[in-house]
Amino acid sequence: MVPISYIESVRKVFPDQPPYQWSTFEEAPFTPLKKPLQELRIGLISSCGIYQKDQPSFNTIKNDLTFREIPADVDPCDLRIAHNFYDSTDAKRDMNCVFPIERLRELGKEGFIGTFVSPAYTFMGRLFKRRELQDEMIPSLIQKFMEGKIDALLLVPC
Amino acid sequence: MEQAGIPTVSMTSALDITRLVKPPRSVFLNFPLGHTTGRPFDKEGQIKILKGALEFLVEAEEGGDIKELPDVWGEDWEIGVSLQGSSHK
Repeated sequence: MVPISYIESVRKVFPDQPPYQWSTFEEAPFTPLKKPLQELRIGLISSCGIYQKDQPSFNTIKNDLTFREIPADVDPCDLRIAHNFYDSTDAKRDMNCVFPIERLRELGKEGFIGTFVSPAYTFMGRLFKRRELQDEMIPSLIQKFMEGKIDALLLVPC
Repeated sequence: MEQAGIPTVSMTSALDITRLVKPPRSVFLNFPLGHTTGRPFDKEGQIKILKGALEFLVEAEEGGDIKELPDVWGEDWEIGVSLQGSSHK
């Protein structure tokens, strides 16, 4: 199947709203790796809206700029999904569809990567406050990634 | 994150948006939304997808590079109403 045009689809789904303005760029920053994959401490962040059952849920409507820290060794049975703007039917049965913690643990054990860093991070999509996102949420996440000595990061948008 | 010195690789289900937004390294998997890193209970498939994604940390040559994974979902799908939120169904 040829890739769906999501830009067109989003316009069709929200005909009464002005076209969504994605942040578009001509160039992308690029930091080369300093070590081979087998030595890297790999972090995970996903906009899946997953939280642990004893953590607060997310505001699923929009603009929840908080994030949750999920221990890498969490029991998937203790995870919940707040996000209801993507079809999470399968992800509710197997979180690894959008938040591949069990697989990254295995890749760490197998030695394909150095370490899967704990905690992993989750947040909600539907963020329309670009300035707060860039100036507040992202810097506090970067601070966390630095503290966790993360060498490289896997991003999973939902 | 890249500017702070942390290399990143981003999965994507939406190739057209990714081309515009241009993340540093992207890995496109042509699966329906809600399956960014694979099918449920398909451990082997999920591992293969993640290995393909993580290898791109090393393989990518410049900012904006996109790798397309060969995996095929198998049947056609539409984005449906899920983008409007389940409360609108």
